[in-house]
Amino acid sequence: MQELHNKIKSMLEGNSVALFIAYQKNSDGKITPTFITKPEQIKKAYYGDDCRQNLAVYVHKHEVKHFGKVGILANIYTLKALLQIYAENQFKDDYLKIVTVNPKGAVVEFANFQEVENYISENKPAPNPEYVAQVEKLSNLGREERWNYWLNELSTCIKCYACRAACPMCYCTKCTVESNQPQWISAPSHSLGNIEWHVMRAMHLAGRCIECNECARVCPMDIPLNLLTVKINEAIDTEFGQEAGTKGKLDFALSTFKVDDKENFIR
Amino acid sequence: MNYKTLKTDKLPELFDKIKKAGKTVLAPRKKGNKAFFSTFDSFDQITFDYVQSALSPKSVLFPRVEELLTYKNLDDSYSIKEPELKDEVVVFGMRPCDGIALDYLSDFFLKENPDKLLQDRKNNTTFISLACKKFDNDCFCTSVGSSPAETKGSDLCFTDMGNGSYYVEIVTDKGKKLVDAFPDLFADSKEMNKVEQLAKVPVRFDLKNITTKIPTVFETNIWLDQSLACIGCGACAYVCPTCSCFDIQDECNPKGGTRLRCWDACAFGQFTIHASGHNPREVQSNRWRNRVQHKFNYSVENLNTISCVGCGRCIRVCPAGMSIIEHLISVEEA
Repeated sequence: MQELHNKIKSMLEGNSVALFIAYQKNSDGKITPTFITKPEQIKKAYYGDDCRQNLAVYVHKHEVKHFGKVGILANIYTLKALLQIYAENQFKDDYLKIVTVNPKGAVVEFANFQEVENYISENKPAPNPEYVAQVEKLSNLGREERWNYWLNELSTCIKCYACRAACPMCYCTKCTVESNQPQWISAPSHSLGNIEWHVMRAMHLAGRCIECNECARVCPMDIPLNLLTVKINEAIDTEFGQEAGTKGKLDFALSTFKVDDKENFIR
Repeated sequence: MNYKTLKTDKLPELFDKIKKAGKTVLAPRKKGNKAFFSTFDSFDQITFDYVQSALSPKSVLFPRVEELLTYKNLDDSYSIKEPELKDEVVVFGMRPCDGIALDYLSDFFLKENPDKLLQDRKNNTTFISLACKKFDNDCFCTSVGSSPAETKGSDLCFTDMGNGSYYVEIVTDKGKKLVDAFPDLFADSKEMNKVEQLAKVPVRFDLKNITTKIPTVFETNIWLDQSLACIGCGACAYVCPTCSCFDIQDECNPKGGTRLRCWDACAFGQFTIHASGHNPREVQSNRWRNRVQHKFNYSVENLNTISCVGCGRCIRVCPAGMSIIEHLISVEEA
């Protein structure tokens, strides 16, 4: 941890950042985000395999942007999210200084997003076998069974929007579900409203989800929401050869038109 | 108060008989490692292995979405129909802290302008708490004036005495009615000392200090420090047994429609936004301050009680691991 602490210290002292977002391990073993602005807070910074939260979610936050230049300790999924957010042109130059701890335990600071892209291609996370098995199990069900499975799961949603809040790719300042003129989808958390919400969200994440699985981790009702976007990503990869969070420049599958499209209807 | 005992192995029979009498029984069932109040077909589906249910029994009185009325547009008039709530429900296995929360919820909904729906649900529901034998690091009932021995707000309170029987405290007339309906299951008892059987939850802060201090720290930086981690979801409010904010939604078409009451949360940016676009709680630190101030300041002003029962659900559910215990300690130290 000393190397990490030294790195944060030099960044704060050199005024290259005013705030450094890291993880800390609390006395009860719980990992929480920590926001370091003063030298005496540096010793709290922690990194390990148990650091799961995707800290990229904070780079959009008003109070965080207010600090000016921000440093962030990124796990591999946070890196993927940051690269995707960069590909979507959401960063001002020089806003972020990104640091990670590589598999050998060395602290790495990235000079630019090209380096982030290279690092991700060399350290691609293996798909979580548990989720792969769940997606496969669902894919093998009949259409009706699968629909009933989701009806049942989504009927328990309480619409706390933790999935949206924890998702680094859900950064719209006004979400479709909050629009009431016109009201696109039903706001109440009855079965129809829940289905409309989750289908809408999954569609908006098509080809953009970086598969950090935060939506499933944070769900108070334990709904495996990540399976929806993981499955859609599979289709985007097969049909369009695109994978979110791997490139700094992207043709977006759902917002790009090509004259040589293989489908007749679109030409 | 009157006291009874019930053999623990008679619990399935009690549930069967309650169901046969036409009532719905809700008890904790596991999904993954969380427990949710749910209906069940057989006794082995319910669980006793939980510190706290993931959602509070608040939703029995105040569902996450409920119909307030339906209306129809007729040729030159309209008709309105309000729901009639007749289903009788028995909730088993809530913790004593939830009882206090139900009392708060009743005060909120019934004191000034009584809410008929909540009143009807309360009349139709019997709440049986199961006193805590274990606790976790997020439990802090003893810091907010309660304890696992509390009976306030429950209709019946069961304590597993570790000798094959539950010690049953009859707290309300509704509780007495349920016990009296099954005289062959419950045996008379004298008052017993249950405290030895219960969890010893440590005190984490001095409540008096906090309620005195909190109105004076409104304009300080502690709210920003505490809420930098807050990602602005409503999970804490929705699992909270006392959070009672709601939104009214109309779902209608030219022929008629439905008016719905839905949970809402002060952590959402849209919660306070005005029609003009101005938002008096513009940033998350304002919203977080409101949540803590409401629990420990505004509730005291409005209903003469704090509105936190120390159940710890908000801490367990927070995606960013925020802990109200730590935040209250930082108020105490501010």
